[in-house]
Amino acid sequence: MAKPLAGLTWALIALVAFLTVCPVFMLVFGSFSTGLEAFGSFTLAKYIQSYTDPALAGIIVNTVVFTAGSALVATALALFLSYLNLRTNIPFKSLFQTISIIPMMIPHILFCVSWALLLNPSNGLFNLLLREFGLSGAAFNIYSMPGMILVEGLLDLPIAYLIIAPAMSAFDVSLEESSKVCGASNLRTLLKVTLPVLRPAILAAFILVIVRSLASFAVPAVLGMPGRIYVLASHIYRIIASGFAADYGQAAAVGMSALSASIVLIVIYRRLTAESEKFVTVTSRGYRPAVIDLKRARLPLFGCVGLLCLVLIVLPVAVLFYVSLLPYAMVPSAKALSLMSWKNWQAVIRDPVSFLSLKNSLFLGVAGASLGVVLSVFVAYIIVKVRTRASGFLESLSFLSFSFPGIVIGVGFMWFFVRTPLYATLWALLIGYIATYLPYGVRPLTSAFVQIHSHLEESSRVCGAGTLYTLWRIVIPLLVPGVVSGWILMATMFVRELTLSVVLSRPGTEVIAVQILRFAEDGLWGRLSALGIIMIFISTALVVAATWVGRRFIRVEKG
Amino acid sequence: MKRLAALLVIALTASVAAAADPALVEKAKAEKKAAFYANITAVEPILEAFAKTYGVSAEYTRVSTNKFVATVLTEHQAGKLMADVLQAPLPILEILKEKGVLAAYRPPAMAGYPAWAGQDERIQQFGIEYVAYIYNKELVKPGDAPALYEDLADPKWRGKIVMADPSTHATTISWLIGLKEKVFTSEEAWLKFVKGLAANQPMFVNSFGPTPAPVESGEKLIAISMPKYIITKAPAPLDWARLKQPMLGSPRAMALAAAAPRPNAAKLFIDYWLSRDAMKIMAEKVGEYVLAPGVFPPIDGMETARVEPIRELSDEEIRRWGGEFKKIFAMP
Repeated sequence: MAKPLAGLTWALIALVAFLTVCPVFMLVFGSFSTGLEAFGSFTLAKYIQSYTDPALAGIIVNTVVFTAGSALVATALALFLSYLNLRTNIPFKSLFQTISIIPMMIPHILFCVSWALLLNPSNGLFNLLLREFGLSGAAFNIYSMPGMILVEGLLDLPIAYLIIAPAMSAFDVSLEESSKVCGASNLRTLLKVTLPVLRPAILAAFILVIVRSLASFAVPAVLGMPGRIYVLASHIYRIIASGFAADYGQAAAVGMSALSASIVLIVIYRRLTAESEKFVTVTSRGYRPAVIDLKRARLPLFGCVGLLCLVLIVLPVAVLFYVSLLPYAMVPSAKALSLMSWKNWQAVIRDPVSFLSLKNSLFLGVAGASLGVVLSVFVAYIIVKVRTRASGFLESLSFLSFSFPGIVIGVGFMWFFVRTPLYATLWALLIGYIATYLPYGVRPLTSAFVQIHSHLEESSRVCGAGTLYTLWRIVIPLLVPGVVSGWILMATMFVRELTLSVVLSRPGTEVIAVQILRFAEDGLWGRLSALGIIMIFISTALVVAATWVGRRFIRVEKG
Repeated sequence: MKRLAALLVIALTASVAAAADPALVEKAKAEKKAAFYANITAVEPILEAFAKTYGVSAEYTRVSTNKFVATVLTEHQAGKLMADVLQAPLPILEILKEKGVLAAYRPPAMAGYPAWAGQDERIQQFGIEYVAYIYNKELVKPGDAPALYEDLADPKWRGKIVMADPSTHATTISWLIGLKEKVFTSEEAWLKFVKGLAANQPMFVNSFGPTPAPVESGEKLIAISMPKYIITKAPAPLDWARLKQPMLGSPRAMALAAAAPRPNAAKLFIDYWLSRDAMKIMAEKVGEYVLAPGVFPPIDGMETARVEPIRELSDEEIRRWGGEFKKIFAMP
């Protein structure tokens, strides 16, 4: 490893450690302390009590099924959609691209409520419809493990999509051509060449979704609890919720198992992608991604993808719009139609806190994502190009706050920030967001970096360019799809961020999440839906802007 | 409606301004604002009226109930408590009192409140988070609604009930224990009711907030919930079952922070909050059950209803009972 890179590695380790370790340290202290605070006298009681709970075994089984299932759904859908979008001549590509990112833009709790309206066993719209056709009982029950997996999988689809898509678009078509020249069919080429070469991206997506669904609370709360299915996140909620003085130290003790699981997953990921040379597709010897002609399958596949998007994403969003027009939740009927109005929209727009929170959230989205992506470029570069223990350590560090269940990590940040002058400022939110969601920037960029051959950088260095100049002139332009993905993931996440915001936001630093919390706690689903749709518009604007800038950048570089 | 609101503001300006101590008002004005932490709905009209009356603004931060103790204690111990006034369910304020977060203050506005509401010099109780059976009045005829608590154990309600998770939701746990101690004649009768309720397979949600939605939409018919939703969710077809037994709930309380950065503005704010005019806004706009004498939420039948506070349960007791209910309701 070159000396300057070793320096950069340690500088990044220090920076990322500062960002992610501080809150986690506070939680570790809290989990070993008596009482309710971060610093009490030492005790192991919280661990003993948490890990001798007889219910824990069943909860862990549920958690494994839930997270692995969600990761499978999200990754498979993302692969299917990104392949068709980026490698084939399927019509209306940009539409599908946008649709696959939409779940990233909605408050998750709202997406769950929408699915409950569609598929609850009592009067879910699909079930009512099927009853019209003479089916008795309930064909679908969203309050079940398959229901939870489906919805969590869809919510995490954008994460998987935005990690796989850049890799898919940087695919070297000559690999596939060689396969076909040797007589392999399209399917065989896909299975034997395309998918194996994409392994780092697929694995990265799969693992990130597992870690995310481990920490996610909306689906376990809104769909799991009514079905009495408990996973780790809802188990932690139970610990916090029972009693008025929530013991976050005990919750953190349980959360440590999520943290260890994530670290194990990262180690496995590094093992599985150790021989990174295998996955290089962009070398100095000419590269062009090519489009595959679907021929006769074009329209049927288009119909298939269209239907999938319609049922899985457009319909729940349409339900939100419907709910936003109603004074209260009701099944579609003539009466519902007669009661429709824009009142919820007016209430949301006229709210005095709305404007300020919108401004703050936009600032955090744009500034946070930009800073976050800059940091991610460096971190991803070291993770991929410098394969030492130190870089493995950096990779684990980047996941630290992310893998902690959301309800707990917010308190970890509060315990930390209250000891700094940043407490109750917008900067605390900015730092907290970047620290927690760093993997959203790092993952798409690592899977993009993996594909770039080191010959390109070496050529640049031979010509006398320094590390930073090489990064800027050679590597980053090739990384644009990864940068755009990372930026979109971070920006849309920051605009709808809930778990940290509700703990760290104060008068003057309100963000949209404060409104979400207010409406959700009061059960005002109509207003919440209106706000959710406004958020989709804001995030769509950010996504369009990012994609446009990305395209321009590539064009300028080529020109 | 607007004229009515204007009249209300004028009346309230006159009555409260007359009651407040001018010296306190001057000091409060110099402090400019009072910051308060709470988890309560739609209280903005009270804050606006306060600002208009005294020229002192009130800054509200909503802190979820399950983060309340953690947030306040963390800030307090770091010497950075940003709130002057704290408002939460009584047991939370009791915990904070023990930790030395609260100051003694006897607001003059408490005169006329029930004696028990002001017995603690550090905590003022002003309302009760009352719990009742809330049903969909389009799908359930008033005659079919329960007349006694035990009627909800009737198998006809099987699969038609929604309630907050009785193994964790502190208010629901306290409510069930309140029924045992205040309503049912014997422990056996109470246990029979709880077991019957469990046999009816209620759907669980994580707090009261999500309980009305499934009843509005007809997904479920009845909820163990709060009558205030009849006001805040109007025109949803919700009504409350007028039981022959009293309604129960945890007291809502407020307190002055010991290290309040703006103690005078805080006192002025507490006085105003407890005034009849502010309580009236709260009852009328938010449907809260308040302890100010003669003030009732505009819900049919509420003026004559009996509403009683539940004894506060320690966290240890809540967890123990939560564990019992987990078994009775056969939860994993």
